[in-house]
Amino acid sequence: MIKVRDGHLDTLGLLFARYKKPLFGFFYGMNKDAELSEDLVQNVFYRILKYRYLFRGEGDFKTWMFHIARNVNHDNFRKNKLRHKESIENWEERLGTDENRLSEFKKDEELQILSAAMDRLPEDKREILLLSKYQDKKYKEIGEILGCSEGAVKVKVFRALQELKAVYTELEKHI
Amino acid sequence: MEAGKISHLLYRYNSGEANSEEIKQMEDLIEQGLIRIEDFEGLEKLEDQILRLDSPDPSATLDDRFRQMLKAEKGTRKESRWKNLFNWSDFAPRLAFASVTLLIGLVVGYILRSPAQKDEQIVELGKEIGALKEMMMLSMLEKESATDRLKAVSLTQDMDQVSLKVTSALLQTLNNDENVNVRLAALEALRPYSIDGEIREALIRSISHQKSPLVQVALAELMAELQEKGAIEELKKILEDGDTPSDIKKKIQESIQVI
Repeated sequence: MIKVRDGHLDTLGLLFARYKKPLFGFFYGMNKDAELSEDLVQNVFYRILKYRYLFRGEGDFKTWMFHIARNVNHDNFRKNKLRHKESIENWEERLGTDENRLSEFKKDEELQILSAAMDRLPEDKREILLLSKYQDKKYKEIGEILGCSEGAVKVKVFRALQELKAVYTELEKHI
Repeated sequence: MEAGKISHLLYRYNSGEANSEEIKQMEDLIEQGLIRIEDFEGLEKLEDQILRLDSPDPSATLDDRFRQMLKAEKGTRKESRWKNLFNWSDFAPRLAFASVTLLIGLVVGYILRSPAQKDEQIVELGKEIGALKEMMMLSMLEKESATDRLKAVSLTQDMDQVSLKVTSALLQTLNNDENVNVRLAALEALRPYSIDGEIREALIRSISHQKSPLVQVALAELMAELQEKGAIEELKKILEDGDTPSDIKKKIQESIQVI
């Protein structure tokens, strides 16, 4: 990234190739919309290009990138609040019933229940769990993204996992 | 908190009996790093399962869009390099700096130039005075009074540099003036210019013109001073002249010997 900052823009291609999938996974985990997620990945790299001079090179690029990704996601959420609200209201309609959805993927039932449970979590809790996933449970780095301490991140993860467990158990009962 | 109490809390949580107050206590312990998420039954497994959750791959369109964006950014950079040259926000301070520098330069130039101008004026004035003196001298040499002509010759001594006109007038005076004193004064005035080859030759030729023994001796002494060998023949002619007084011949002989 330091090379990109210093004007070697082609180097950004390498970073894009390495991080497009986790970034896409993060956005997809947040909105379950592949097209929108691609837009947001593009948006993140646009911001990286635009604000490359702000990268000081002191921290991890991935952490910086997810910090931008989080802002992009929030900006998008604010911009499309009404649409987002509407989409939540039509959530089941868009995805089909739990039963239909789960029946599609009988091979790995547990993971499908988990995915459905994740979708039912409040946004902040889903976000922390996705950050934990894509930041390889590095709570200190996640703290840098969220602007809080490592301990506070652990508590947030704990609370999110608790709620996920509760939703998961509830979904399991319906199968 | 004691390890026993922590174990008790964990036991309560894992068996689903923990109340909200106990959960709050556990959160504090997590924040302090005394309990790990892995210590909670089921949560670690859940976290690992999240890691295994797969998401679809982004389409090839994303790669294309990225490449286009990068290309566009490179284009903008090239353009902006040129634009930056004429970017008003950048250009304005540069222009202001250049203007101020130019203004300072003009002021400094004016200050430094003023005395030079004065010097030039003085030089110009000096030249004008010199020309005036020359004119005065040339007209005074025409006067009938020997005193005026002497004054005219003495005027040349105040001149730093004389023109060809002046030296010619002085040579003419040396050769033709009826007054010996004036001729001697003219010779004295020509002495500084005797380095000049042409004047020196004119002085040598002047030797034969001179009838006054005083001027002959003065010329012979000057030739000796200049070590001018070309003058020997002219000087010998004076020696051969029967009208030349013996004292003068002796003096001229001495000069020839010195040469």
